Amino acid sequence: MILRDNPVLIRELLVNLRSPRAFLLQFVYVAFLGVMVYFAWPATEGQVSSGAAQRLFDLFFLGQFFLVALVAPTFAAGSITGEKERKTYEMLLASPLTPTSILVGKLLSSLTYLIILIVSSLPLIILCFLLGGILLSEIARAYLILILAAGTFGLLSLACSSYFGRTSSALVVSYLVILPLAILCVILTRTNDTVLRDFVSIAVLPPWCLTIWAVVVIALNRRLLRPPDVGSEGKEVVDEEQEMKYAIGVVIDRDLFPDKLFAPAKRTDLMPDGTNPVLDKELRSEIFSQGTLMLRVVIQVSMILSIPLMAVLLFLRPENAAYYVSYVLTFNMLVGPVFSAGSITQERERQTLNLLLTTLLRPGKIVFAKLIAALRVSTVLTFLLTEQLFLAYILIPELRDRWWTLIIYLAIIATTCLATSTIGLFCSAISRKTSVAMILTYMTLLFLFVGPVGLRWYLQGFAGGISEDRLSAFTVTSPFSSAFSIPMKSSQYSTNEQTTGSLVMRLIPGINLPVWAVFLLGYPPFCLILFGCTYVAFRYRWWRAGGT
Amino acid sequence: MIEVTHFTKRYGDFVAVDDLTLSIGAGEVFGFIGPNGAGKSTTIRFLATLLRPTSGEGKVAGKSVTKDPMGVRRVIGYMPDDFGVYDGMKVWEFLDFFAVAYEIPRTYRKKIIGQVLELLDLTHKRDDYVNGLSKGMKQRLCLAKTLVHDPPVLILDEPASGLDPRARLEMKALLNELRGMGKTILVSSHILSELADFCTSIGVIERGKLLAAGSIADITRQLRQHRVLKVRVIDDSAERAASILRDEENVKTVEVFDQTLTAEFHGHEDDLARLLGRLISAGIGVHSFSEDDLSLEEVFMMITKGIVN
Repeated sequence: MILRDNPVLIRELLVNLRSPRAFLLQFVYVAFLGVMVYFAWPATEGQVSSGAAQRLFDLFFLGQFFLVALVAPTFAAGSITGEKERKTYEMLLASPLTPTSILVGKLLSSLTYLIILIVSSLPLIILCFLLGGILLSEIARAYLILILAAGTFGLLSLACSSYFGRTSSALVVSYLVILPLAILCVILTRTNDTVLRDFVSIAVLPPWCLTIWAVVVIALNRRLLRPPDVGSEGKEVVDEEQEMKYAIGVVIDRDLFPDKLFAPAKRTDLMPDGTNPVLDKELRSEIFSQGTLMLRVVIQVSMILSIPLMAVLLFLRPENAAYYVSYVLTFNMLVGPVFSAGSITQERERQTLNLLLTTLLRPGKIVFAKLIAALRVSTVLTFLLTEQLFLAYILIPELRDRWWTLIIYLAIIATTCLATSTIGLFCSAISRKTSVAMILTYMTLLFLFVGPVGLRWYLQGFAGGISEDRLSAFTVTSPFSSAFSIPMKSSQYSTNEQTTGSLVMRLIPGINLPVWAVFLLGYPPFCLILFGCTYVAFRYRWWRAGGT
Repeated sequence: MIEVTHFTKRYGDFVAVDDLTLSIGAGEVFGFIGPNGAGKSTTIRFLATLLRPTSGEGKVAGKSVTKDPMGVRRVIGYMPDDFGVYDGMKVWEFLDFFAVAYEIPRTYRKKIIGQVLELLDLTHKRDDYVNGLSKGMKQRLCLAKTLVHDPPVLILDEPASGLDPRARLEMKALLNELRGMGKTILVSSHILSELADFCTSIGVIERGKLLAAGSIADITRQLRQHRVLKVRVIDDSAERAASILRDEENVKTVEVFDQTLTAEFHGHEDDLARLLGRLISAGIGVHSFSEDDLSLEEVFMMITKGIVN
């Protein structure tokens, strides 16, 4: 029953796997990996550099690990909230299916495609094995970790999906729960100490993962058997004051700084003339419509994570400030799209778009309000994490001397906030469903932000093939490489031209611009163009035609 | 006030609405009737500027639906058949939101919101959250929303669907009140009797084609050609009576049930009188000979019959 005749599993697999899109995506994925192996393949036997295969393998593993961490939640976090949103949740629970078979069906159906993708990369990895330099046990270990990670991340996302009413809330909380686990997992399995690595991957991770699985499954089973949120389908009215009383940890008070920056207090009287009603609605009503739980979890988890990171990356080893900035950037990359990628599609899904479109509001006003609302929330939440940067720059002399780098870091973070919101909104304007818009946004961000870093790493494998300038040029779209292009070690900066050389790209012959400068100069116009595209898409897809 | 000329909407090969032409005068209440999927909502969405036509044109208060959608939006109040509400908003905030979206200055807004709440009997719900309202209340709230900018034309898509009988009656009373205020109303339903009491004219649509349009009296008159005749005879002359009726050229079908004959009759009143004479002269004991009064449901069924079968 649980596996063979599970209607939940069968239905989802049929829907997900029989589409031509699934085959196409798998083809593209394998082709992409194939191309990577093809170019890394030595022309003659003699040229095999011992590191090439290892580097390729690392790239495969890390890339797929990223993919798992990013994609498993996008599928799993929507699987129960999707039922709630489509109002089929109660029907499902009222059926004779046991909670376990629902759970297994949902989990496997959200992970099957991912696992198919992972397994389809196996033949290519085996090719790398032929190059030498990798142990077969290492490959087996990597795949074990990937499968364990997929299961754990999927289950955790499923748990979030069961606790929240909306896919976007479930998704962002899943990411935040998974982020520390993913970082920990990468650190533990990538250390240079082989003994520790093997110990962790064989003796530590599997039992821990299985424990997490058991705990989550028990909790979810209980929740599905006696669901507390049935009857209202997650649509109950949330009383803010009541919720604040029982909140654990952080309490959001809309009258106080900094909370009022992203959640201004509700109005007690009519809006003044000239107010953009959409912006007002988004910031004052919609943000807490599902309660403050999601935001409270986001703020608390990100803060708790930031403390050890601050200690290690800012205070113990100040030259690693870029790593802390990367954490802030990752946070924004995960959280930013949640507020923008659903903003247009949700109007459609909740059937309020027709009401909005028949008013006298111009499309530009609507889209602009959506962007500003999303940007404001995501920027404020992200900048809450920069307090630690300020603190470090004030307290540590080494950083204080290089105060100007703080300005650049902040500029990079702000630009990234702008980019994630704009890209999310664009995807929302061209998609029909929030889940599609979300996945599209994350894929775009992965392509722009993380892809170049991986590509650079991959290309470095060709010893001497490509100059450092060229390599840097590939990474200008990534805020991560921009952050790392800011020189932090003063001694290194002044004496070692070799290192700084890699941080500079020649955009125009004769003028050397550092990567961060190109990033900061490039993104604002890019976002402006993308906003224009969003406007056009919204105008002609919804506002003018009203859909079909 | 509302003109639709040769409106056609195709989705691929499927024709949702086929060459629909219709005209609604100012102050009229037009009932748009048809079964589910007949093309009512498509036509209404077109008039509400939410749908691009495959061909054809529409005008509301002299403004073109395709060329001047903003002008049309200004004069219509549109209530979709299925709609959601924004979460986390109170009733007054919801109305204020739409009032601002309709560019109503703040000084008037307070008065107007009070008025529409009063009109729709929602004043006691002013500070309730909209997502906590019942379906009937939400329906009323949406109607309140369509009235904030005081549009002369109301386009209401199934305003009473999903409501309990009491809420239905209240919705009817509300529409009557709005008619009294001189608004032109286009209201759709798949239940004819729901509209009959207060519509000045109706249009029947099925499979994308407008089958009949005009005042209810007009349409019934057109159908007078198709009378349903009920003849009750005494003793066992029913079969004989049936054969006489079948001989008659004006009679289309005859059904016999016990001593009652039901016949479909196409003809005028003098033909009916002649037919009765024939029955009596043939020595059949006619107990009663009457024409069935057509209920609105029957009118509807008759109009759509040929196509439904």
